[in-house]
Amino acid sequence: MSYLPCGTYFESYADDHKWWRTSFIQGKMIFMLVVLAILPYVVDSQWLSVAYTINYYILAGLGVQLLIGYCGQITLGHAAFVAVGGYTCAMMLLLVPWPQFMVDGGLAYPVTIVCAGLLAGAWSVLFGLPSARVKGFYLIMTTMAAQWITVPLVITQYVAQIGGRGQAFAIPPDMIKIGPWVIDTDTKIYYFSVVLVGICLLAMGNMVRSKLGRAWIAIRDNDIAAETMGVNIVVYKLIAFWVAGFFAGVAGAFYLSALFFVSPEHYEWFFSLLWVGIILIGGVGSIQGLVFGAAFVVIVFKLLEIAVMSASSALMAINPELGWMTTKFIFFKEASFGLAIILFLIYEPNGLSYRYWQLKNYFNLWPFSYTGK
Amino acid sequence: MDLFLQLFITGIMLGSIFALVALGWVLIYKCSGVLNLAMGELTLIGGYVCLWLYQSLVKTMPLMTAFLLAIVGTLIIGLILGLLTERIFLRKMIGEPILAVIMVTVGLSFFFKGMVFIIWDTDTQVFLPRVFPIEPVVVGGVAIGQVYIWSFVAAMLLMVIFVCFFKYTRWGLSMQACADDEMAALSLGVSAKFVYALAWAIAFMAAGVGGTLLGNINGLNYSVSLLGLLVLPVVVFGGLNSVPGAIVGGITIGLLQNFAGGYLDGYFPGGIKEIAPFIFMVVFLLFKPYGLWGWERIERV
Repeated sequence: MSYLPCGTYFESYADDHKWWRTSFIQGKMIFMLVVLAILPYVVDSQWLSVAYTINYYILAGLGVQLLIGYCGQITLGHAAFVAVGGYTCAMMLLLVPWPQFMVDGGLAYPVTIVCAGLLAGAWSVLFGLPSARVKGFYLIMTTMAAQWITVPLVITQYVAQIGGRGQAFAIPPDMIKIGPWVIDTDTKIYYFSVVLVGICLLAMGNMVRSKLGRAWIAIRDNDIAAETMGVNIVVYKLIAFWVAGFFAGVAGAFYLSALFFVSPEHYEWFFSLLWVGIILIGGVGSIQGLVFGAAFVVIVFKLLEIAVMSASSALMAINPELGWMTTKFIFFKEASFGLAIILFLIYEPNGLSYRYWQLKNYFNLWPFSYTGK
Repeated sequence: MDLFLQLFITGIMLGSIFALVALGWVLIYKCSGVLNLAMGELTLIGGYVCLWLYQSLVKTMPLMTAFLLAIVGTLIIGLILGLLTERIFLRKMIGEPILAVIMVTVGLSFFFKGMVFIIWDTDTQVFLPRVFPIEPVVVGGVAIGQVYIWSFVAAMLLMVIFVCFFKYTRWGLSMQACADDEMAALSLGVSAKFVYALAWAIAFMAAGVGGTLLGNINGLNYSVSLLGLLVLPVVVFGGLNSVPGAIVGGITIGLLQNFAGGYLDGYFPGGIKEIAPFIFMVVFLLFKPYGLWGWERIERV
């Protein structure tokens, strides 16, 4: 059968756990890959940068989704770990005396990406240690403290002063090179981000459907019950923190290729909250939801920017006094993002992925729906 | 020794403002179980509202009258905003999971901050003409700014009023009942909705006065909301649902912040003053997760 007849029926666990379960899903995935591949030829560079920003948010939000959505450890300080990744990558590219063959062969940047992930993971475990003793609100406090200790103190005051460059580190453009490809145009950044997101989502999906993921989900649903079932909750919580930190570090190292410099203002507390907001909008405990949430937030911000810019220039033409709207764009953005989180939580608590699931079910059973909706 | 006394006294006085704001936080948590991360923005709103009232009033009347009227106005606007916030956003979240409620308050903090900066802009604004004279009072060789003394007096006064309200009035009694056992309170005819609204209104009023006092000390800008966030180490230290804990915690964190700024700044240049309370909080959480007087939660599966 090329499609599932009505509902989901599988005869073995192997069938049920397949990545691409029917040929319809295969077709859908191949279609998606084709769309992702031809996107740079269809849209202009403005929307291409939106596309790789979405990918960056997916990478950064992956750890948040893992911790909150799968392991139940609420984190409000993930930007700190992304910052550790970004700074590790930048410092290593600038300060390590790379052998010439590594620079020429384009090995330096991939090595730093892995190192960034490892260090960010270690930093994340350090702040995850209190999770052995506390949970809920108290854990939120420690992750918030991770943000305040890492970004304004350690990175701004100490790490950023190494080498006397000031706070922002610029990277020489030819250092960001993977194998023979120098990543210097929007199109290349985009393809690089797609590959990276693909690998990370695959890894995440596989972890979630293995023993590791089942342990995390057990801890999320009820940690005391999980402990009585023989899950070593401290170890699995720390593994969750490590993996989340690793993804964050990779995200930080990736974003370097788009910015060519790092500065503490890219890792403010706002971003930690933004990523939590993204998974709430998309749907907690769903990898798909993360993708939807990231796309929703970035595209809405972009549309808002276009709207405010055109509105203010139109108003400027009528009355030059009203140019203040442009300068206050960032506050419009913040206020509307806050309102969006609240409205989603009140009216759409299951997120966008639930709506998508409803839509899919509707067409699966069409025209003989049994949901009565 | 002089430096020590200086830091000690200003620390206590600064801490009294934190204690006032923390009191509002604890009341919300005790009565409705909401963990409020928007407290920093509430102080910001209060500060700006008071500044705006003060600057429009001071043109027509003497300094002190204008300031007192502005504070009364801030309290009234805080009351209205608190009731509105609870009614529009928080009442719909009763019974939702903890993360959802916390994120609603985070959304509120973004919303309030955006609105404040759209209305009042981000430049540092000061209370001009100065409310309190700039000459310090010298007591036994220690110079204390008058603004600190008056802040301490105002914060203490307001705190006593709130505690008396909580302990001796009928409404306060219903808040106590709700905090103790919501089910029992409901069955005895206490309106939980009314209590939640009251708690938010008190939090807005306390934070508003706290923001005004902080604004008088350093000028009003974004950093006031970061000082408002210091309420979190305060309540973690004192225990989430303890009113005396909030007061003791506030003064402790004020002292800690001042001592860190005075003694450690030479060794760790930069932002140690702002970060020290958070570092202290992480270490404290490892050893005494429920704070000094917080209730320990016993869990059942």
